[in-house]
Amino acid sequence: MTPGSNEGFRPIAALAAAAFPGAGHLVLGQPMRALGAAAGVLLLFGGGLFIGGIDAIDSKEDRVWFYGQALVGPITFGVDWAHQNHFKAIDTRTKQLRTGYPTETQTTDDTGQRVWRPLTADEAAAGMGPPNVKGVGRMNELGQLSCTLAGMMNLIIILDALFPATRRRESGGAS
Amino acid sequence: MIAPALTLAWTPFIDPIDANAFWYLLIIPMAIGIALAFKAVRVGEMRKYPRHVAMMTAQIILGVVVLAIASFIVIDKLVPILTPMPAP
Repeated sequence: MTPGSNEGFRPIAALAAAAFPGAGHLVLGQPMRALGAAAGVLLLFGGGLFIGGIDAIDSKEDRVWFYGQALVGPITFGVDWAHQNHFKAIDTRTKQLRTGYPTETQTTDDTGQRVWRPLTADEAAAGMGPPNVKGVGRMNELGQLSCTLAGMMNLIIILDALFPATRRRESGGAS
Repeated sequence: MIAPALTLAWTPFIDPIDANAFWYLLIIPMAIGIALAFKAVRVGEMRKYPRHVAMMTAQIILGVVVLAIASFIVIDKLVPILTPMPAP
């Protein structure tokens, strides 16, 4: 089977597609399809982050949504890692990891853990606050939805890279 | 490590946007994204790709508008007729 072949079972292409949107079709020798697929998935994913902020990706508090978003690939896990490890901190009262309130800022306790503490009057006057604002309401819903749609579309693209022969109803021309 | 920028200023891709006044328009970029990704693997000849993407985007937006109108008619017009509520 040649690299540009449009037939059979192509696990390497599927793995590439799972690693980065559109990469599977590059492996299949179809750069224009790869470009279109990557543009669509990344527009949905980036658009979701733009709408809902980094809080749109949250494997701890929005796990069911995260299952769909994870289909975009390592990008999602990277964003979630950054969200959990750089933007959240421990609530000293409940001992839970959470996003900060507008009147809080991050600090480290004696054990080196990131914890939230209230802002002083000077810090509040200087406009300080948590590193991100928690998404709520429609913006959070739409951000999560867009990132999850990106995952769903990438699943279609992964399956198309895995079974390229079953793809098109029209004449089977490659890009 | 603590995130360095601890300010309340809006940061793109970190903080949510304030689009509550025109949230329904966000269907447009979503429809474009879905059409771009789906048609990339469905069209036979890539020269037809832009036209197919434009058509599918329009179909999605039109479909959602029709569903919104249908939901409005059912909830705002039909349900009050079928299950009238006593006046307060």
